[in-house]
Amino acid sequence: MSAALLSIQRIAKRYPGVQALADVSFDVRQGELLAIVGENGAGKSTLMKILAGVIPDFGGELRLREKPVRFTGTRDAEAAGISIIHQELNLVEQLSAAANIFLGREKRNRFGLLDQGAMDREAARLLEELECKIDARRPVGELRVGDQQLVEIAKALSIHADVLIMDEPTSALTESEVARLFRVIARLRHRGVTILYISHKMDEVFQLADRIVVLRDGRLVEVVERAAATPRGITHLMVGREIEETDLSRPRAMGATVLEVRNLSLPWPGHARRWRLENVSFDLHRGEIVGIAGLMGAGRTELLECLFGASDLRPSGSIRLGGKHVDFKHPAEAKRAGMALVTEDRKRFGLFAEMNVGQNVTVCTLDQATRGGLVSGRVEAEQARGIVHRLNVKTAGIEARITSLSGGNQQKAIIGRWLLTEPQVLLLDDPTRGVDVGAKAELYRLMDALCREGLGILVTSSELPELLTVCDRILVLCEGRLTAELSRAEATEQRIMEAATARQPATTQ
Amino acid sequence: MNSSAGESTSLLRRIAGQHSNELGLLVAILAVVAATTIFSDAYREKPLQNAQEILRQTSLLGVFALGAAIVIISGGIDLSSGSVIAFSGAICASIMLALAPHDASGAPDTNNLGLGIIAVAIAGTLLVGFLIGTLHAWLITVVGLPPFVATLASLVGLRSLARVMVQEVTTVLMPTGRTTQIYIYDNAFNALGTRWWIPLVIFLVLSVACWVLLSRTVVGRHLYAMGGNENAARLSGIRTDHLKWLAYCLGAMTSSIAGILYMAEVGTAYPAVQGLGYELNAIAAAVVGGCSLQGGVGTIGGTMLGVVFLRVVIDAVAKLVKVGADEYQGIIVGVLVVLAVAFNELRRAGGGLRKQFFPGVLGLLAIGILSVLGGSVTTMMFGRSAGAIVFVGAIVVLAARKLAEYRASRRASQAVSS
Repeated sequence: MSAALLSIQRIAKRYPGVQALADVSFDVRQGELLAIVGENGAGKSTLMKILAGVIPDFGGELRLREKPVRFTGTRDAEAAGISIIHQELNLVEQLSAAANIFLGREKRNRFGLLDQGAMDREAARLLEELECKIDARRPVGELRVGDQQLVEIAKALSIHADVLIMDEPTSALTESEVARLFRVIARLRHRGVTILYISHKMDEVFQLADRIVVLRDGRLVEVVERAAATPRGITHLMVGREIEETDLSRPRAMGATVLEVRNLSLPWPGHARRWRLENVSFDLHRGEIVGIAGLMGAGRTELLECLFGASDLRPSGSIRLGGKHVDFKHPAEAKRAGMALVTEDRKRFGLFAEMNVGQNVTVCTLDQATRGGLVSGRVEAEQARGIVHRLNVKTAGIEARITSLSGGNQQKAIIGRWLLTEPQVLLLDDPTRGVDVGAKAELYRLMDALCREGLGILVTSSELPELLTVCDRILVLCEGRLTAELSRAEATEQRIMEAATARQPATTQ
Repeated sequence: MNSSAGESTSLLRRIAGQHSNELGLLVAILAVVAATTIFSDAYREKPLQNAQEILRQTSLLGVFALGAAIVIISGGIDLSSGSVIAFSGAICASIMLALAPHDASGAPDTNNLGLGIIAVAIAGTLLVGFLIGTLHAWLITVVGLPPFVATLASLVGLRSLARVMVQEVTTVLMPTGRTTQIYIYDNAFNALGTRWWIPLVIFLVLSVACWVLLSRTVVGRHLYAMGGNENAARLSGIRTDHLKWLAYCLGAMTSSIAGILYMAEVGTAYPAVQGLGYELNAIAAAVVGGCSLQGGVGTIGGTMLGVVFLRVVIDAVAKLVKVGADEYQGIIVGVLVVLAVAFNELRRAGGGLRKQFFPGVLGLLAIGILSVLGGSVTTMMFGRSAGAIVFVGAIVVLAARKLAEYRASRRASQAVSS
């Protein structure tokens, strides 16, 4: 048995009000690929940030090659050979790939000036090694996400990291990019690099890992050899209970067409693709859930924004809501017409962190709670309590801070905000992102119930099994074009992925 | 019995928790007033006169601090108030001069304008304030300038424009020709700024109106929402452009009201110096009163107390030093803003005073700078010996702090390596 390269001993981390990690201990062996799995909020990312020096204050001890270490910053950790590739990449978009790779460690010539040539050459060599066929002098912002990620890996290689932490590296990659990443991982392992791989995708974990660390609620549940584990068993360990199979199979009755979209196009000035959305047409009926699948950047969010009048540029094409032609210039108009949008990024586009639960819930319909022009606290509280109760939002009360709620309950509060507007069409942009498994099932049931009440729901998701569970139909977007429309019976992960990666050859002028 | 007592204390605690900032300010205000009463004769000898003067000054600042607070709560910033004050004074005086009856020599006579002319002048000035706010809103929401830039341009531009305008107006209207000031002698008008209770009443009425707007109307809630998260507000169907228009108009119009009052106070429109630097006083009062420059946080009550606190401290220093408060005002405002924001940030970060304040070379230099600053200010206020004591004392205390921080960080790293 090989010696422990990195020993994690009784690590603990407390944030105000949350014990993010408690008493986590395990060893990382030299040269292995250790997968770290757990639900959202299990403490995976916190642990990795501690290892990479991003979080300098924590309880417990780290031993690297038997010597205790305590990193005071990422530079410190990098000097010790530990490098992290965050899920949200950490690159300066305006700088070239080479400049990013050497950021903070720029090569200098005899006169103390930047040695651009040497950096470009070295960067090109590193990228070559990673099968990344890009010009190292191009600004990173112009690169595809997959290539950007390789720039980060090249950076890690350039500092001779022998421990590489990857936080959900495939979440934004196409199939071929994932395959390339896996080849790169194999090559890194061949060189003896130890890899800590965070993921919640079981197939990846079982394809790559030697051992699997399972975290739950900030605690270590178990470290298992891959050979001795099954995906089902790992999921069980992650959740701590059997996942209830949500039975949504009871057929729903589809009503009249509520939303008709024809030839919707959204321009993308200055971009090679020219269109963020191109000639998208589809119908949505009352009592129907239609899913929108596609890779990151396929135009899912843009489609919902266009329908809601929230896009920066105006789309062309026609949208009919309840039979009437609509052309929203502002979300306020969409709201009035009976459209509701629950945004993808709760924190940035949904929550009012400084406000309490009640205020967050009533923000769209506060004008209905006025008496003589002034807001009636009593009517507002009734409004808020009613919907909080109806959606079963778990909160200490409507006076509680919205940020004190779990992700799933925050999401329910925002859905509640929009249900108060009594919409005809509900647009849900990746509603279960950052929501734990139990709350996901509850959101599915909520969507099903709303749908049965006659609402038309359009939902996007980055997780295909989710769409396959809840949707009557699935539309697949690829680079802004609708490449497939699959009924529940036709849809399989395989078919969706094929359509999602069915790019046109990039020769069209 | 017991449980109701428990409930009432928990209710008290809840109120104290929600309004800790306001309570803290109230205590601070009382402390400063008490200290000034003890150390200076002025408050004991003429309590009524001093109280009236502080209230008058507080109200004058308070009027446009309310506007500044609303803009800050809505997530913006208005740097133009000082110049809007000067510009509004000039506009108001120019209208009066233009409408004033002529005396025997044919010169405009502003001794007895009559309420009609005064009302027209005030209405015209408020209209100008509305137009300035509208221009800001257009630059910010349509052209897409950052609020900082749009209102900074007004800060620089409007004062200059007011100076040119006063010279042009006097050239045309005054037989004596071009001057840099316009004098208004009407007693009824001047009373607006000199009678202590008139600014106070205006301030209180505006405060109540602003409080109702922010706390009891849909628009007010939406202002908070926009300040807290503009994207989320827009995506919730809130017309953020309209709200910004309202906020910047309130910012400019409250400054216009203050401009009229300041001009009435001295009976002179003198745009070269009037309201100079006042924008920072207003922002300071709002920030000290608990408004967050990130937006979405703040109250009218807090802002009112912030204004009172600022004026009370300025007045206390003036009384203790026994010179004009004007020179010291900037120092006080600067120090209070840094302390208020630092205090809020430390509370938010949760680390409190355990934070390392003087790391490395930067910390060393900061110790020197703070000691020299404290020493020299004290020297100027209380003489050389007091200054020397403060200088040496600051060095000793801060150096001891640095040493303690250094030891603590050494201990932390040793604890790991042993």
